Amino acid sequence: MICYNCGCRLSDKNFCTSCGADVTLYKKIMYAANRFYNDGLEKATVRDLSGAIQSLRQCIKLNKNHIEARNLLGLVYFERGEVVAALSEWVISKNIKSEKNIADDYISMIQNNPGRLDAFNQTIKKYNQALLYCQQDSLDLAIIQLKKVLSMNSKFLQARQLLALLYINAQQWDKAEKELDKALKIDTNNTITLRYRKEVEEMKPSEEEKPKKKKETVRYQSGNDTVIQPIAKKENRALQTFFNLMIGLVIGLGIAVYMVLPARVKSAQEDANTQLKAVSEQLDAKTVQVEELTKQIEDLSIERDSLNSSLSDATSTSAALQANTDLIEAALMYMNKTGDETAIAETLELIPSDYIEQGATESFQTLYHTIFAAVGPIVAQTYYNTGYEAYRTEDYETAITNLEKAFYYDPDNGEALYNLANSYYRSGDTKQAVEYYQMVSELFPDTEKARKAQNYIKEIQG
Amino acid sequence: MINFEEELKKFHPSLEIEDAEEAIYNQDLTDMADLLVKIVKDAKEEE
Repeated sequence: MICYNCGCRLSDKNFCTSCGADVTLYKKIMYAANRFYNDGLEKATVRDLSGAIQSLRQCIKLNKNHIEARNLLGLVYFERGEVVAALSEWVISKNIKSEKNIADDYISMIQNNPGRLDAFNQTIKKYNQALLYCQQDSLDLAIIQLKKVLSMNSKFLQARQLLALLYINAQQWDKAEKELDKALKIDTNNTITLRYRKEVEEMKPSEEEKPKKKKETVRYQSGNDTVIQPIAKKENRALQTFFNLMIGLVIGLGIAVYMVLPARVKSAQEDANTQLKAVSEQLDAKTVQVEELTKQIEDLSIERDSLNSSLSDATSTSAALQANTDLIEAALMYMNKTGDETAIAETLELIPSDYIEQGATESFQTLYHTIFAAVGPIVAQTYYNTGYEAYRTEDYETAITNLEKAFYYDPDNGEALYNLANSYYRSGDTKQAVEYYQMVSELFPDTEKARKAQNYIKEIQG
Repeated sequence: MINFEEELKKFHPSLEIEDAEEAIYNQDLTDMADLLVKIVKDAKEEE
């Protein structure tokens, strides 16, 4: 205990040994404060929170610096759901003694959790709103609001008492009793709660007043046994069984329709979707593959066309070169006057006729036709002689070869054409024979050969 | 028989968190020891 005058520690004397101040009364006040604290602690221990609050308030009225009393008062307030009152006591306690004070832990517990602090604040706001509803005579809304408050903080004593009062007003005695029982569990000796409880007990209809249930059984003693027999209650067991079965059937069908089937359908749909997805993915992959291959084919086609074109160019170039070489060779033989017109003609024969007509230059064509005109009749005569000789010796194959060449080099040689037709006729190729006989009659009309040719045609065609 | 209206008047709005600071400042912290000190001081002044 500290001297109120100088702050020195007091001894068991009735005066301060340091400053000499009379501390008799002061000591009595401190002792009284301690007694109230002990009383408050005892009441708090048995959950007489209202009593504890009274004692602890008395204690701090006597000694405001009683830290334990103030902290305990805060704790009791907190237990009754009065958070602001609790915080106030703890804050004052902390201000009086800033170190080694458990109030610090209590404050931190609330302040360090913003969500919790906000929840407390919301609870208080809702309680105040419920009170306002009561004052505005909106009692149903107030009940709803108070239920919310109690769901957020079940220890909010005032809210529970107000809810009980509302139930009492609505004459819902059972509900009021239930709330008051809960309130008594929080604060066992609260006068308001006890008064309401008494009111409820008085007003609540007794068991006797409640409508009695019809007695359903009869008890009687049979020897040593107690027999409990239902009062003659007719039961149609078959009908009941049938109804039970029907109800069971309906419930079973309901479960199947509303629970099992949708699950099965959903499962099947999911499977189908999975398969569809897999197939779609495969299809996509194949499509991409096909597109790639198509592109490759297109590229290869283009490349092939390009190569064909190159090959064609090379071939035509090569053919032109060969044709020029052959023509030069034939021209050289002709200029050197070798006298071998057959060799010159054979060399000219090597030049393709389509090249002469289409691909050759004008000078090439001129030179070719000049040489051909110069050696043609001579070669034609040579071939005719050879061919006619063969015809005469019935070597028709040789005759046909030579006479064809003779006619080729000298188209005016009607004898060659006529004997060529004869050779085909004699060799048995009447079809070719008829064609050549036709040519004879068309190219050399009004001649003896034409007349003979017509006769042969008639003879062949019969 | 409880009078609902009268009972309702006994319930007061609970202090909200925002009001805590004001409540702490307004609290009368004078205790019996303070009164004793004041009485002693006044008595000494009269002497």
